[in-house]
Amino acid sequence: MNKWSEKARRTSFGRAGAGLAVMVLLAAMPANAQETAVYFQQNCASCHTIGGGRLTGPDLKDVTGRRDREWLKSYILNPQAKMDAGDPYALQLLDEARGVVMPIPPGITPERADYLLDLIEAESALEESQFKGVQISNEPFTAADVARGLAIFKGSRKLKNGGPACYSCHSVSGLGGLGGGNLDPERGDLTLVYERLQGRTVLSSWLMAPATPTMNSVFKAAAMESDEIHALVALFEDRAQAGKPAKSQAQLTFALLGAGGAALALMFFDFVWKGRFLAVRRPLVESEKL
Amino acid sequence: MNVRSQISMVFHLDKCIGCHTCSIACKNIWTDRKGTDYMWWNNVETKPGTGFPALWEDQDKFKGGWEKHNGKIRLKSTGKGRIIPNIFHNPNMPSMDDYYEPWTYDYQNLFNAPEGPDQPTAKPISMVTGEYIDIESGPNWDDDLGGSPIYAANDPNLEGLTKEQRLQLMSIEQLVFFYFPRICNHCMNPACVASCPSGALYKRGEDGIVLVDQKRCRAWRSCIAACPYKKVYFNWFTGKSEKCILCFPRIETGQAPACFHSCVGRIRYLGVLLYDADRIEEVSNLPQEELIDGQRSMILDPNDSHVIENALKNGIAESTIKSAQESPVYQYVKVWKLALPPHIEYRTLPMLFYVPPMAPVMAQQKAGGLDSISENLFHDIEEARVPMKFLGNLLGGGQEGKVLYALRKEKSVRWYRRAVTVGDVDLETAERMLKEADCTVKEAQAIYELTSLCTFDQRFVIPPAHREEAIEALKDPMEHKQGTGFGFLSGPRRGL
Repeated sequence: MNKWSEKARRTSFGRAGAGLAVMVLLAAMPANAQETAVYFQQNCASCHTIGGGRLTGPDLKDVTGRRDREWLKSYILNPQAKMDAGDPYALQLLDEARGVVMPIPPGITPERADYLLDLIEAESALEESQFKGVQISNEPFTAADVARGLAIFKGSRKLKNGGPACYSCHSVSGLGGLGGGNLDPERGDLTLVYERLQGRTVLSSWLMAPATPTMNSVFKAAAMESDEIHALVALFEDRAQAGKPAKSQAQLTFALLGAGGAALALMFFDFVWKGRFLAVRRPLVESEKL
Repeated sequence: MNVRSQISMVFHLDKCIGCHTCSIACKNIWTDRKGTDYMWWNNVETKPGTGFPALWEDQDKFKGGWEKHNGKIRLKSTGKGRIIPNIFHNPNMPSMDDYYEPWTYDYQNLFNAPEGPDQPTAKPISMVTGEYIDIESGPNWDDDLGGSPIYAANDPNLEGLTKEQRLQLMSIEQLVFFYFPRICNHCMNPACVASCPSGALYKRGEDGIVLVDQKRCRAWRSCIAACPYKKVYFNWFTGKSEKCILCFPRIETGQAPACFHSCVGRIRYLGVLLYDADRIEEVSNLPQEELIDGQRSMILDPNDSHVIENALKNGIAESTIKSAQESPVYQYVKVWKLALPPHIEYRTLPMLFYVPPMAPVMAQQKAGGLDSISENLFHDIEEARVPMKFLGNLLGGGQEGKVLYALRKEKSVRWYRRAVTVGDVDLETAERMLKEADCTVKEAQAIYELTSLCTFDQRFVIPPAHREEAIEALKDPMEHKQGTGFGFLSGPRRGL
């Protein structure tokens, strides 16, 4: 037993050690401009454009002119801390983003933040930045789009690049039964996400490269196709118009199913073990009274 | 041959009057402590009846004793592998309700009750919870209630009786009961000892008394389920199991155990048996109908020189062998074959034997008078109110033969003595009966003397314990004698 756990501990130390080494190595690598652009595309572009107008977050064109570099760097490194510290400009940003807090970009380092600011500065100077934002078609959504969106959401239609179905972590109204996953109880319900992210453009670009740490790590290697995003946005628009979040109803269903299931399980065990030893004298006396 | 000595016992049921003096003597000495209040190391049951705890003989419920499994015997309740899922929950144990909730009475109320229109009463109080309770059962709840529809009618020994026989046991002027006093049988092959995961139970080498080591007991309670006679009890206060110790402190000082000493009907006999311990496994495995003969064959003749030689080789004292030669138990069990083991089909080879009781006869009415004599001299045995099948289930290992043999002998001895002392039946008939019952005049006289005229010293032949020799191995006996009785004693306690 002791030997066993000793071994297990050594192995896990080994793994953690290896992981640490890789991370140190990555951070030490000189990030060239090309790499920073890829990083921006994967981690920033879902909420920010450079010269394409605001999405969830503000347009970053000429941002280095609006605030000094040190402020921007510390904000990128930890946006939440800035807000907690009561920085008025950070709070204003929060207000403009309708309460959506910018997550800490995955793998951010002071060095990388510098590169990012360099990139933004350089791109701002261009006539037309490569990060102007994606072109979202304005075709109206059809019922077929909504249905396809629901199929993708529930996973009955697989994502082409192998991403997991939304259903595993999220819920949306009209799923029936227990609803979907509940990974983030506060914002995991996507019924009103269309409103929260102010419509089609922002939502679509968000889905191009999801920015939250969890989704980012999952979808970095399995980006969604634009027709899939189109269908999902159609679904979210439809659900947002319909209104109510799915949460409360799913919770009730869950509680009821749980209670019912427990009762059934007890009845089952009672049946299987009906010959169990309960008492001797009392049944004897009671059988005679009948 | 591996000769062992065992202090074993005979209870003569034909003499038991059901006075419970034995139970009280035992309770006053051993089980008046907190946590032992519900225990009756000695109890007296009315048969037919369900006994104490209720239905203890129903091994489908309590899973006591041994069972045949793939040609060998194994414990019915547990085993090395089988104990693992049940070590914290052993389901086949009697609950407090199956014993009874011990109670006392609120006597203070008789003095302290406020003045009122009614006499104050002493309400029953639970000795476990201290709350007022309604008494629903007790250790001898069905005492003297032969024919009672709940307890008597559900006696497991009634199995195999015809419907008429069962009805007769319930009907007025025909119902019958006898008493069945019980203590620990101090078995040769004790299931309680075999079941204990802590190894706390053991059978004493020198006299075969089965004991629970209070320091080693870890409250698994496997012994409680495993003992088919339900004679190991759990002390709910100390969290240890306790059982009849055959008053070994009294035996070691040459006194009879309290229940034996106090017995009003003088039904109890105690003496040494020598047996061959090498054959325990073989005999425990015999088919059910051969168990009684098998056990008898294990009991060795203490006058046989070969046995004596082997006994001495095994360290059995000469005084113990002499005691075995005078043992009344040896006479009843092996020589006369009058005493039978209770429920030997549990395969624990009990070392307490019972002489079956003679029951009232079903009399026939003839010309206005009752006639109980017929051509068949032994008619009153076959026609006794207690069906032979019932006694066979209880004492004959499920067979009637051994019980019938004992009862015929008892009857013929009684008839013979009637011819000798009263003279209203002729001696010739009596002697014919003895012959038919496999008994000689000499044997009849001996049975009569040990049954009816026995003295204290004839009933209890206790070998010297030779404690001084046992102590000698560890320290100077004189020094021990001077120091014993002093020092610290620590009682078993748990957080209550």
